[in-house]
Parts: sequence; C-alpha cells; structure tokens
Amino acid sequence: MSSSDSQPRFGQSVKGLLSDKVGSCSGDVIALTRQVLKGSRSQELLGQAARNMVIQEDAILHSEDSLRKMSIITTHLQYQQEAIQKNVEHSKNLQDQLRHLLK
Amino acid sequence: MAAMGEKAAAMDSISRAPAPPSALNLATDTAVRGENTCPEGATEPTTTAPKKPSNNNDGGVETAEEATEPAEQDINELCKDMFEKMAIFLQGELTATCEDYKLLENMNKLTSLKYMEMKDISVNISRNLQDLNQKYASLQPYLDQINHIEEQVTALEQAAYKLDTYSKKLEAKFKKLEKR
Repeated sequence: MSSSDSQPRFGQSVKGLLSDKVGSCSGDVIALTRQVLKGSRSQELLGQAARNMVIQEDAILHSEDSLRKMSIITTHLQYQQEAIQKNVEHSKNLQDQLRHLLK
Repeated sequence: MAAMGEKAAAMDSISRAPAPPSALNLATDTAVRGENTCPEGATEPTTTAPKKPSNNNDGGVETAEEATEPAEQDINELCKDMFEKMAIFLQGELTATCEDYKLLENMNKLTSLKYMEMKDISVNISRNLQDLNQKYASLQPYLDQINHIEEQVTALEQAAYKLDTYSKKLEAKFKKLEKR
C-alpha cells in the first residue's frame, strides 16, 4: 500500500496531513477491494459460465423439439395399432373359411 | 554587581527558554504560527479544544502545548457523508458480481424448468411406448394366425394349380375320346 510521508513537511499543516492520510487510506481500501475482486476471477468465470449456457441453449431447444416430434410419432403409432387391432379381429373368420376349403 | 545581575537575568532567561523543538513541536509551532494570530512564544491555548500533551523535559523548562482549533461543527457530517459514499461505492463494486450470480441463477432456473418439461414429455413417451409394446404383444397371436392363414392360402394356391392341371389333362383326354 502506498504510504505518504508521515513526517510533517515544512509548511504543511496537520489538517492537510490528515486529509492526505484519509485520502490515501480510502484509496487503499478501494484498491484493495478491486484487487480482491480481480483476484477472485469471479467476473471471468461467471462470464464464461454465461457464455457456455448460451451455447448450450441451442442444443437444449433442439432436444426439446426432438422430444415433441417423438411424442407425435408415438401418438401416430397408437392410432395405427388401433387400426391393426380392428382389422386383425376378422382373421379368425378367414381362418375358419380356409380350413373348410382345405378339407 | 549590576553586570552580574544582568548576567544572572540573561542566564535565567536562557534557562527558561523553551525546550529544543522536536518534530512534533516544530509542526505544532508552524501550525500555531500559520493559523493563530497570537504572539509567539510560550502561549497557552485560548480556546477550550482538547490539547495534546506536550513532551515534558526536565523541570524548570517551559513547554508549550499545541494550540488546536475547535472542530468544525459540520466535520462530523462530512465524515459521515464520506463514509456513506465510500460504503455505497464498495457496495456498487460488489453488486456487479452479485448481479452476475443472479443472472446465472435465473438462467439455471429457466434451464431447469425446460428440463422438467422435457422430463414430463419423455415420461409420457415412455408410458405410451410401454402401452404400445403391450398391445403389440397382445397382437402376437393374431399375427401368428395371419402367418397360418398365409400358409393355408399358399397350400390352397398349390391345390388350385393341381386342380387346374388335372382339369386340363381331363379336357385333353375327353377331346381325344370324342375324336375317336
């Protein structure tokens, strides 16, 4: 930390020295705060995290889109299965008729 | 004798002279000279401000006390103002990081909501697919019947071909017999 000359200078009043000291102390506190913030690298890390999140957002939206399409396809498969179920019930009669024919 | 008396007075005045100025006293003296309009010398403070104790030398030596000005009435206000503004500044410096954290927190919350929606969708899909698998499993006997039907139809087709061949042979024999 910077320290001004504490020895009284010629022609400088105590009041002036005091105000200088207060000013230098406040400057030191500000510099210390900034150094602590800079040393923690929180700004860089948080910024990098935000950037990565933005990059991931595209993949997340794509995944959601794919899931919705899959749910639509599943619904269509259900419809098709119901249609198959309905038509397959005729196969029993068909089988009986064929059995008679082949006797 | 008079000369002796004068010399003694001079010696007394010398003995009563103020102590050799230290650093503090020099500063205080200059402060006194710069600020007070009082005459120089060993003066006592004329105000009621708190005084600094001076360095006491050996007895018999006069020491001067610092003449301080009374504190300004608004100095407390100024100090308070200074510290408040310092606090606001420091809070502002730290608020930037807090806002970054809040931003990340909001982004994380939105992403978690998105993932919860996706989880619901995928749970629905999984349930529907399980039902579909069960229904397709229940359709298996029918599919076996269809296979059986196909085999029967193939056998029927073979029989139809044989019948067709036999009937053509029969027709040819009949025509031969008719010609005779």
